[in-house]
Amino acid sequence: MAEKRAESQPVLEIRNLKVNFSTYKGIVKALNGVDLKLYSREVLALVGESGCGKSVTAQTLIGLLPENASILEGEMILNGKNLTKKSKEEMRMLRAQAIAIVFQDPMTFLNPVLTIETQLEEVFMLQKNLLREAVAIQKAEGDVKFADLIKAKSAGSSQTDKGASKKETKKVAKKLSIDLLRMVKLPDPKRILKQYPFELSGGMRQRAMIAMAFARRPSLFIADEITTALDVTIQAQILHLLKGLRDRIDASTLMITHDLSVAAEVADRIAVMYGGNIVETALTRALFRKPFHPYTQMLLRAIPNILNPVERLESIPGTVPEMINPPPGCRFHPRCPHAMEICKGERPKLLEVEKKHEVACYLY
Amino acid sequence: MKSPATYTESELGNEELLTVKGFKVWFPIKSGVFQRTIGHVKAVDGVSFAVKKGETLGVVGESGSGKTTLARGILRLVKPTSGEVLFEGINVAKASRKEIKLVRRKMQIIFQDPYASLDPRQTISSTLYEAMKIHGIVQNKPEATKKALELLEKVGLSQEHLYRFPHEFSGGQRQRISVARALAVNPAFLVLDEPTSFLDVSVQASVLNLMKDLQKDLGLTYLFITHNLAVVHHMSDRIAVMYLGKIVELADKDSIYHDPKHPYTFQLMSAIPLPDPEAKKKEVLLEGDVPSPVDIPPGCRFHPRCQYATEKCKKAEPKLAKINGHLAACYYEIDFSTGKVIGEKADE
Repeated sequence: MAEKRAESQPVLEIRNLKVNFSTYKGIVKALNGVDLKLYSREVLALVGESGCGKSVTAQTLIGLLPENASILEGEMILNGKNLTKKSKEEMRMLRAQAIAIVFQDPMTFLNPVLTIETQLEEVFMLQKNLLREAVAIQKAEGDVKFADLIKAKSAGSSQTDKGASKKETKKVAKKLSIDLLRMVKLPDPKRILKQYPFELSGGMRQRAMIAMAFARRPSLFIADEITTALDVTIQAQILHLLKGLRDRIDASTLMITHDLSVAAEVADRIAVMYGGNIVETALTRALFRKPFHPYTQMLLRAIPNILNPVERLESIPGTVPEMINPPPGCRFHPRCPHAMEICKGERPKLLEVEKKHEVACYLY
Repeated sequence: MKSPATYTESELGNEELLTVKGFKVWFPIKSGVFQRTIGHVKAVDGVSFAVKKGETLGVVGESGSGKTTLARGILRLVKPTSGEVLFEGINVAKASRKEIKLVRRKMQIIFQDPYASLDPRQTISSTLYEAMKIHGIVQNKPEATKKALELLEKVGLSQEHLYRFPHEFSGGQRQRISVARALAVNPAFLVLDEPTSFLDVSVQASVLNLMKDLQKDLGLTYLFITHNLAVVHHMSDRIAVMYLGKIVELADKDSIYHDPKHPYTFQLMSAIPLPDPEAKKKEVLLEGDVPSPVDIPPGCRFHPRCQYATEKCKKAEPKLAKINGHLAACYYEIDFSTGKVIGEKADE
């Protein structure tokens, strides 16, 4: 299934993206030419250790870089539109519709003084077209489900009811809210609509955030470490939910995580990041079966595996590169056991070594 | 030298270094003008176990299960409500200040957050010296410096690091310094409270290797507390699973993973994400959240989330008892591959 998806056109393409941060210590070269493609309806996991630039990539995509950051080079193309050329206001509209993001800590992104109902309603009110479509379906069929709207969007056959009254739209919005909460498997959605974020547990808040993200019918869904703050049993629930929703929501997912095991559970494809570069991308199975890049190989041997216990774990010598004065050439070369003279010169390009398996390393 | 796991019970002499009996830590909830106690957070609610000399006992549990409070209670960093902690003939739970000082020399703790557990205004040298001075390990400064250098070498740091401040180190290095500080007083027993959960995987591997090496070289005994089930399996000889302030199962590490006896353990184990996309996984999902430790469900505290729960489970709490070599707190013996109950414990 995953293989089939990857055949289609990329929904998102990032080309040679470079982002710098100016700090009082110097210029932090956070992204050093990131190349990434995300295909329609696939789940791509962006994996790396802290400081590798995975969250900066997400921030750049949604146009929420802090003031001291600047995009030096590169472009990001979402559905044929170049995001790097958008104004602040245009990016804001995109965040309201095409791109949705869920972060690690839902409590910082939910408004503590508004009920879940008000917050979901706000999302809908920003999307007049979606509501008008919903009213049209409601009138034609007597009932409306969120799934119908997704279907209408992917078929491109949306009918809108321009004369919908405010009362009608509000009623439809509530109906859709309940349906969405049911989709993310929150028990008793009617009661939850009336509750405030503090009344929900961590897992439930994350589900509510996911519901709000999907309420926009986004074409790009970014999940930034969404299970990191959760317990394992709750994490398993959320991952299971994401797997189940993937086929019902017409969106491509960019999943950012530091945990290779989590990526193994849900991703179709994995991109490994190191020091501001993508060093390897492959289909999930291929990456675990035959990792090419020395960093990926070492990283896989550094995680304890219950299925294959070892007496000693392999650790990667040295530390994550300092991004103010990063090592020249391949940023991994000071820690790499296979480093050659050429690695210190120019940065290796991401090249396809096997079908759908790209590696940035001079060994191949 | 053999790893502790390969010793048989008789070789180990079954010598218990630490015995915990009926241990409880309750925090009062106060309310109103007169600050009356209106209830208790029962963080640790009756825990008994023993740690053998030279072994690593892992304690796993989700947030709110009481694992960290247990660690702090054992060291008397929080005051226990009742129960005993026996360590070298001293009941730590009721010990006098003098006795506690004696015990703390033998028992040390390494905390989770290496950014918070080191004094930012002290150099590594003075951090280590302070620990040694308080416990009378060294008599003078030169002796302390010599010992500090030995310690740094032991944890994989070098001489040049001695006069630096914590902010000059990375997370992994800081955790090594915490280890050096704990070892400065020549302890026999270390409590490791999530020592690697702040670290990246590549760094985590090196800290875990260090802990294993030190255990071998110095014959240390560990109580390893974590929420990471893969890490605890890698590090421990035996594992205790905690749920809402109680141990629900205790067994050696492999049988707890491959042949769990308690329904909670089974579900916890099947929730672990595996670094292998081709592994065949049993999709069992634990419904709901952990209940509040203020309002613990009556009977077996797991019953509201347990698919095997019966009337009996709602009434009385099952005791931790032997089921096929495991200690498990469940009335039933369940074959999880078929989901059938195959045995029932006789009423007590």
